[in-house]
Amino acid sequence: MKTLALIGNPNCGKTTLFNQLTGTTAHVGNWPGVTVEEKDGLWRGHKVVDLPGIYSLSPYSPEEKLSRRFILDQKPDIVVDVIDATNLERSLYLTSQLSELARPMILVLNMQDLLEKEGIKLDEKQLSQMFGTPVVSISASKGIGLDGFTKVAEKLLADPHAPSCPIFAPPVETCITRLIEDDYLHTIPVGYPPRWCAIKLLERDELFRTHMPPVPERLHKVLDRERTELEKVFNDDIEAIIIDQRYHVAERVSKACQIKLKSEDRFTLDTILTNRILAIPLFILIMAGVFFLSIGIVGGATVPLFEKGILVLRQSLTTWFAQLGVLPFLSHMLVDGIIAGCGSVLSFVPQLIVLFALLSILEDCGYMARIAFIMDRMMRDLGLSGKSIIPLVIGTGCSVPAIMSSRTIEHPKMRRLTIAVTPFIPCSAKLPIFSLMITYFFNNAWYMAPLMYFTGILAIMLTGILAQALDTHKENNAFIMELPRYQVPTLKNTAIQTWDRTKGFLLKAGTTILLASVVIWLLQTYSFSFMEVEAEKSMLSQIGKFIAPIFKPLGFGKWQLSVALLTGIAAKESIVSTLSVTMQGQPFSLLLTPASALSYMLFILLASPCIASLSAMASELEDRKLFFLTILWQTGLAYIVSLVVYTIAKGVF
Amino acid sequence: MENTKTLAKLDVGQSGTIGAINAPKEIKRRLMDMGFTRGIKVSVVKRAPMGDPIEVSLRGYHLCLRNEQAENLVLR
Repeated sequence: MKTLALIGNPNCGKTTLFNQLTGTTAHVGNWPGVTVEEKDGLWRGHKVVDLPGIYSLSPYSPEEKLSRRFILDQKPDIVVDVIDATNLERSLYLTSQLSELARPMILVLNMQDLLEKEGIKLDEKQLSQMFGTPVVSISASKGIGLDGFTKVAEKLLADPHAPSCPIFAPPVETCITRLIEDDYLHTIPVGYPPRWCAIKLLERDELFRTHMPPVPERLHKVLDRERTELEKVFNDDIEAIIIDQRYHVAERVSKACQIKLKSEDRFTLDTILTNRILAIPLFILIMAGVFFLSIGIVGGATVPLFEKGILVLRQSLTTWFAQLGVLPFLSHMLVDGIIAGCGSVLSFVPQLIVLFALLSILEDCGYMARIAFIMDRMMRDLGLSGKSIIPLVIGTGCSVPAIMSSRTIEHPKMRRLTIAVTPFIPCSAKLPIFSLMITYFFNNAWYMAPLMYFTGILAIMLTGILAQALDTHKENNAFIMELPRYQVPTLKNTAIQTWDRTKGFLLKAGTTILLASVVIWLLQTYSFSFMEVEAEKSMLSQIGKFIAPIFKPLGFGKWQLSVALLTGIAAKESIVSTLSVTMQGQPFSLLLTPASALSYMLFILLASPCIASLSAMASELEDRKLFFLTILWQTGLAYIVSLVVYTIAKGVF
Repeated sequence: MENTKTLAKLDVGQSGTIGAINAPKEIKRRLMDMGFTRGIKVSVVKRAPMGDPIEVSLRGYHLCLRNEQAENLVLR
């Protein structure tokens, strides 16, 4: 089995090609020690690896390090350099670096269809000659040119040869030649190409401090002399000189290979979408549309259907099990525990499918980058990035997909802060509690629901400002982001992405939720001596009575309220049902006053989220300590806010 | 430094040629990797609704960067 590594700039269509090549066999995996996600799959009996998108092979980001190490250490049989043909010059900058790694390489010119639209033709033959590699033109999204790729790849596998390296300006070349002849270069491990090593030595690459035999003092002196000389000739620092040389190569090749047929000003959607006045209103409108379509229309139609379906299922299963003579314990656990618990979560799947599909369309077409662009200034002061706005909006539906969508934020610190604040946005499962309380205690006041959202936003701002103030390692958070061309999303890609995310959600529902449902049911049904008892005497009520004193200062010290909070950990929807069951028709005014009701609402709004969100948070934060700190902060803030508000409100109401 | 012409000082629609990059090592590398090298022409396409970040076009593609980074790009 041979290995093919797909590499290229972000957004050049690597993953589209990967999905085309591997079909449905693609699965997600992790490489040891690296948190950056990469995928591998099978193509014609060979392994295909989809490496993260990068602009350069300089070891400044984890993705770059990973890609470089992968090519040097894993030695893929073919490096497939995927090039966005509409962006040839910048793509060739990476190609010039890849060619120095001396692995057999194929240049794949992707987005052939877009290229024709822009009136550009590329001279494949010329390009192939200049880099000494096979070149193939494809359109991954339309599935055009894949046969050509197969032919070229099979031929190169049968007769592998390294590409030719780009030639730099004479002073640099002379210097590289001198270095290659040095004795030290003969001691480096086999597989590290001498020319590449010479360039990296010049650039003071960290590789020579960590992975290579120690550089002798004599060579250090030679290197210093060479650097000083070059820096004098070019009047710049050595790193800049090499980058400059590489871009000169890219310019030269691209000029020789690009034939512009016609050039016309294209109308771009950006005239409207990032318009100074219209941009933000349009963004709100588009997001509201996504929200309304998935949660409003689809969710509104399917959730009641699912609830009815689950009720019917539970009833008929109970009768059926009774007829079969199944043990009541098993029958109850399955019907009242697992089906009731998992069912309430699964009823969200239809709206999530629509939400995921719409989001994948937004991502595919290029609008997400524009949102980040227009919102960056606002989010910056909170220590967040423009991209953080997306999870926050999705969070109004459900925190789970919101937390998962934060993956698109590259900067780890910003990504983690975004994950930590996302649950402050009230999700749709919290709305029933609010509407119950508002109806019962606040006479349906119109301002109460917006007040909850506003409090959530305030909590996000407070967290952001606090995290900024406590951050001792302030980094230079440069925000440099490519704004890709708009594209029409393909059905196939949307389907793949939607299914991928839905599958992840289903897996979580099948594991975490399943377990939690069983546990809550057991606690609700049995006493500590494992006797089947009424809810009043169950373990759950005992636990409720045990915790209740903690919430007494907040105004809700009754055990029913504490138990409801506990069941809320499994799913926030169950708070309302738990309250109804435990009160058995008695008025809520026995439990709460308007002041304590407000305090109860605020606590539910801010305290740590349901188990599904918690597990999403844990896996996306990738840091146990940070995870517990986040829960502590959310719950602690909820406690303090409720305490303060209750103390004040007691006097007012 | 007040009078240095930088990319941040250009109006929308104007363009300039990069002369030097006065940024910390890592950001300089990042900017150069994205194609900001000496002698390359960059034009300002748009400013975000709040004036920052800015969208620029170079080497036939578009990217956006904060004013802070645009200040680092000195024009000829």
